[in-house]
Amino acid sequence: MVAAFLAVASLLFGATGAAADTSASGSGNSAVEGKTFVIGTDTTFAPFEFRNADGELTGIDMDIVRAVAEDQGFKVEIRSLGFNAALQALTSNQVDGVIAGMSITDERKEVYDFSEPYFESGVQMAVAKGNDDIKGYEDLKGKTVTAKTGAEGETYAKSIAKKYDFKVKSLDQSASMYELVKSGNAVAVFDDYPVLAYGIAQNNGLKTVTDKVPGGSYGFAVNKGKNADLLAAFNDGLAKLKADGEYDKILDKYLGDPTAAQPTSFWELLESSLPALLKGLKNTMVVTGISFVVAMIIGLAAGFMKIARNIIVRGISTTFVNVFRGTPLLLWAFMFYFGIPQLTGLPINIWVAAVLTLSLNSGAYVAEIVRGGIQSVDPGQMEASRSLGLGYGKSMQKVVVPQAFKMMTPSLINQLIIMLKDSSLLLAIGFAELLYQGQQIYAANFRVTETLFIVGVIYFVAVMLLTKLANFADRRFNK
Amino acid sequence: MSASTTETARKLMIEVRGLRKSFGSNEVLQGIDAEVAEGEVVCVIGPSGSGKSTFLRCLNKLEDISGGTVVVDGFDLTDPKVDINDVRRHIGMVFQHFNLFPHMTVAENVMLAPVELKKASKAEGREKAMELLTRVGLAEKANARPAALSGGQKQRVAIARALAMNPGIMLFDEATSALDPEMVGEVLQVIRDLANSGMTLVLVTHEMGFAREVGDRVIFMADGVVCEEGTPEQLFNDPQQERTKEFLSKVL
Repeated sequence: MVAAFLAVASLLFGATGAAADTSASGSGNSAVEGKTFVIGTDTTFAPFEFRNADGELTGIDMDIVRAVAEDQGFKVEIRSLGFNAALQALTSNQVDGVIAGMSITDERKEVYDFSEPYFESGVQMAVAKGNDDIKGYEDLKGKTVTAKTGAEGETYAKSIAKKYDFKVKSLDQSASMYELVKSGNAVAVFDDYPVLAYGIAQNNGLKTVTDKVPGGSYGFAVNKGKNADLLAAFNDGLAKLKADGEYDKILDKYLGDPTAAQPTSFWELLESSLPALLKGLKNTMVVTGISFVVAMIIGLAAGFMKIARNIIVRGISTTFVNVFRGTPLLLWAFMFYFGIPQLTGLPINIWVAAVLTLSLNSGAYVAEIVRGGIQSVDPGQMEASRSLGLGYGKSMQKVVVPQAFKMMTPSLINQLIIMLKDSSLLLAIGFAELLYQGQQIYAANFRVTETLFIVGVIYFVAVMLLTKLANFADRRFNK
Repeated sequence: MSASTTETARKLMIEVRGLRKSFGSNEVLQGIDAEVAEGEVVCVIGPSGSGKSTFLRCLNKLEDISGGTVVVDGFDLTDPKVDINDVRRHIGMVFQHFNLFPHMTVAENVMLAPVELKKASKAEGREKAMELLTRVGLAEKANARPAALSGGQKQRVAIARALAMNPGIMLFDEATSALDPEMVGEVLQVIRDLANSGMTLVLVTHEMGFAREVGDRVIFMADGVVCEEGTPEQLFNDPQQERTKEFLSKVL
């Protein structure tokens, strides 16, 4: 579903990008000197980009772009967004360039301007280590294979799917594809050969049985007609890296002799991954906390509007609630982070997009909780207060709302917990929350189950603590 | 009351002319005319569904008025320029189900209106509340929550709360109907004291004995109109209307 949405989005947004005309031309490195460029990349494309044991983004792409930046005298700020998200961000000018093991294709050239190729790739098929049935494409008849959405592997797999009579199920991340194959839900994976080779060397549980299909050169991309100086500087820097041997060193570092994976214990995994996960937990907590405050403000306003006598005021609130309750959270995350910036031309901070997404969605539910809470207070309470000469507002404030809140508290605590868990969906726009950090880790080490287990335990403990805290506050303030 | 000898010379506290009230297509009040003089105690009796509670609730505009005029203490309630909140400060109301605020203590219930309406500081409000609670015999419950009180105690607190703004008129909407029989007496005693203090009271009640005892005048309502009215002696001992006789034969 996510993949489908992104695919549609890329078509739509791609068309917009293609309409923009080309202007400006490169003028050498003096044009980029001292500037900082935001570079988008994939989250999980080892050995091109992945996080090392210290949680730092590393890989061939990262080393190349950093070396070029150093040579040309500019600075880079890397945003690890995911492949599709990075391209969306490029189209919406949220990033200046993308380097993500991206093949240069004619379709993409319509939308983006590419550098000289910096890597000659190719697609290869891999199967589970213990699978001796699949020895070639002929054995795929009637089976399902997997490939990465929008990547060369998918294009190639689909091009031969008819001939060999198999189905292609596309996923967003290499690690997920490998899990799909190991779990038997797909018999084979088509992925870029260096990625497969690196994964196999890391003991990801796969093996290759067919030869690499040559093709696909990787390029660095900028939005069509934008950042021509950056593109020229990249080409210039890349040529220098190739000339002085630095380029070969980088490739050798990751492909020459893939470090045989040293299996580590669960406790070592826990120890090495905990700092990154706790950083994610912090972001999860902070974004949930801010969003809940905003959701309460929105929800209180909308909840009171729902019981207003004015039909227009009521209508506005009902529409708001229906829209945000009736549409997926994920859609709004994409809308705020990718859609709105393209409509307005203004980039949006990821925290703003994240808080908008969570608080508007939750605000709709809070509005219903508030409405229900107020309506559950005996109408005689309002009458008694009004008959004392207190106005509607004062009566609400002093008599109805305090009682309504008491009844609302359990539902509000529930909503807070749902929000904390829902914040994991923000990983789709590259928000570095807890589950996102977990993905980063297993994308590099392929220890999906153990990493997810640790992430799950952290979520569980966080939710339990939050529940205890909220119940304590409830008892304290709602005597 | 025996003291009320010069009825006509006294100021009218409530003047109702042609009062109509409909809920949708159902006309509950079909043209009521009534007057209540200052210091008078008027009891409204009648069968269920006769409109007596609705009539009472129109006197402080808890119900919107569909037609006619209601003038209370000089304020015309049907005049849109009249601030209903101002009028309500002159009228205390006591409900069948007490409607105490459960999230406040007894004293806080009583002092809410004076303090929120800036008639008293918190200290003054509390002092006044203690005075009123003493008057209804519940000073020792000042810091209790309503949930800890018996029904009779709750209603006495509700009366103290309604008195907090020093109203000229008190309205009682079946104030003893929700009480256990043994608690009716204590509440009636408080109302009796109010009546004896010379306050203007309008009571919707099912306590015929009490109406006869404290009422200066009794209004019998049936089917949305005033069927008959008069002194308790006239109405209870010598009813003129068939409808009145029929009702009294059932309840006496």
